[in-house]
Amino acid sequence: MSSAFPPGKSMPTSSTAEAAGVHEFVAARDYTALALTLGLIGALLCATFVPAYLRFVLELALANGLVAMGLMVLMRAGLVSFGQGLYFCIGGYTAALAGTALGVRDVFALLAMGAAVCALVGFLCGLLIARYREIFFAMLTLAFTMVLYGLLVNNERLGSTDGYNVLPARFFASELSPDKFQLALFVLTCALVYVVALGLDRYLRSPMGYLGEAIRENELRVEYLGASVRRLVLIKYVIAGALAGLGGVLTALAVGHVDPDLANWTTSGEFLFMALLGGIEHVGAPLLGAIILGVVRSYALEYVPYLWQMMLGATMLAIIVFLPDGLWSIMKRRQKVGKTVGI
Amino acid sequence: MLSLSEVSVNLGGVEVLRRVSLLAPPGVIVGVVGRNGAGKTTLMRSIMGLLPLAGGRIELDGARLDLLAPHRRARLGIGYMPEDRRLVPQWTVKENLMLPLWAAGETTESSERLQRVFELVEELYAWRERKALELSGGQQKIVALGRALVCARRLLLLDEPFEGVAPALVARLRELIGKLKRERELAVLVTDSNDAHLSDLAERLYTIERGALTEALSPVANC
Repeated sequence: MSSAFPPGKSMPTSSTAEAAGVHEFVAARDYTALALTLGLIGALLCATFVPAYLRFVLELALANGLVAMGLMVLMRAGLVSFGQGLYFCIGGYTAALAGTALGVRDVFALLAMGAAVCALVGFLCGLLIARYREIFFAMLTLAFTMVLYGLLVNNERLGSTDGYNVLPARFFASELSPDKFQLALFVLTCALVYVVALGLDRYLRSPMGYLGEAIRENELRVEYLGASVRRLVLIKYVIAGALAGLGGVLTALAVGHVDPDLANWTTSGEFLFMALLGGIEHVGAPLLGAIILGVVRSYALEYVPYLWQMMLGATMLAIIVFLPDGLWSIMKRRQKVGKTVGI
Repeated sequence: MLSLSEVSVNLGGVEVLRRVSLLAPPGVIVGVVGRNGAGKTTLMRSIMGLLPLAGGRIELDGARLDLLAPHRRARLGIGYMPEDRRLVPQWTVKENLMLPLWAAGETTESSERLQRVFELVEELYAWRERKALELSGGQQKIVALGRALVCARRLLLLDEPFEGVAPALVARLRELIGKLKRERELAVLVTDSNDAHLSDLAERLYTIERGALTEALSPVANC
């Protein structure tokens, strides 16, 4: 068949590696690992310099960032989940209940359990949810989280609206003083966010990640080109659920308390806010959104306790009007052509 | 060999395909000519599995096709080029061509099949780094053809490839489709609203009217 090619031109045979290519796209523009490593170092330095309360704010923000990153995976495929609070809450309650009911106190075991339970629940709910799109997808995810909220509020044994206390967890079987525990948890959170961000970055640049973009553009096309969209959506939903579970466990351990509000729709709305604020173009974007929201909110609560929600609303408005792709789009020098092809 | 026997499709209670039977053997280009609304696109979509059948069966080399989901059909080696091109505009040409390989979860064989398409459609190699949205509509059709070819080991479905394409590119598309006759394994099914494009290209010609298919005298096969 090579005869089909004019002899004068150089044939792509010399560039087999190039044509082979998935990895070529990965190598093209990659400062992510470097930036994340610098971020990690920065965060760890923060831990030693900034006051403990600010470190705590940052820690919660990073735990939320895990949830927002999971949401980003869905949003890149054009799916908006209004119910990541479901997994955030399940993660938190798993950590609380595993401590009291099963006697599991090890941080790593709790994290693994939280992620595993959420992945399982995500898989089961996902079997139904992955069949729906757009507003139906959003409403179904919302419905599931409100069901959990209702169940928890009505459950006296789990403390109803008061919630449930989380026993102090242990690092490698050693009980730390509260101060040291918070510091260790902060370091762990940073490390976990770092690893997850690197992993997700690779995922987004893998065939599966690219397929997400293709699904957002046109789902049918992906189907007739040979991939089961339902399966892809299910996988993405499970990933997002497991990440939200990790965030929930970390939050529960840091705060020492869980309550049904973790599953309330306002919590899910906040994760969405983070992803919209930061953007979904890069793994760093939702993290940025989570950190900004966390820090600004805690200061706003301090200085303008009655106005902060209004400020939040105004910020949201400004972002949607002026930076529809989130704050991250400022960092990325956008090409004019790319602009015309939105979601 | 693709075979449709007595295939019927209903859309919203209206019979859009009526007991359609068709044969597309490998190594042969089969044309389907009909006016707008005659059922050409419905025919293509039902072969690809994007529409449910009301009756009849579709087989590829004796195996039932109509029981499979679209993505399973694609993996059997069916390439589909829809009427509208449906490229991912912000991706490069090569990324668009890689999409079916990613979709099928294949990476080892990938270079070979991409290579084959680059050899067959030389301009795609030249355009590989350009974004799809920078190409003209006709050029995008060629990319869509290339993408369908990446999938198509056994069957290629081309839905009105010449529609809305500048004459120079029509000639190029015809040349490319003509080249496919050399592919011994590949059956090609191509539709158009005008038999001028297909009469000398297709070895077997059907006409479709109001969802009913009739085999026309095929000019090329007879000489």
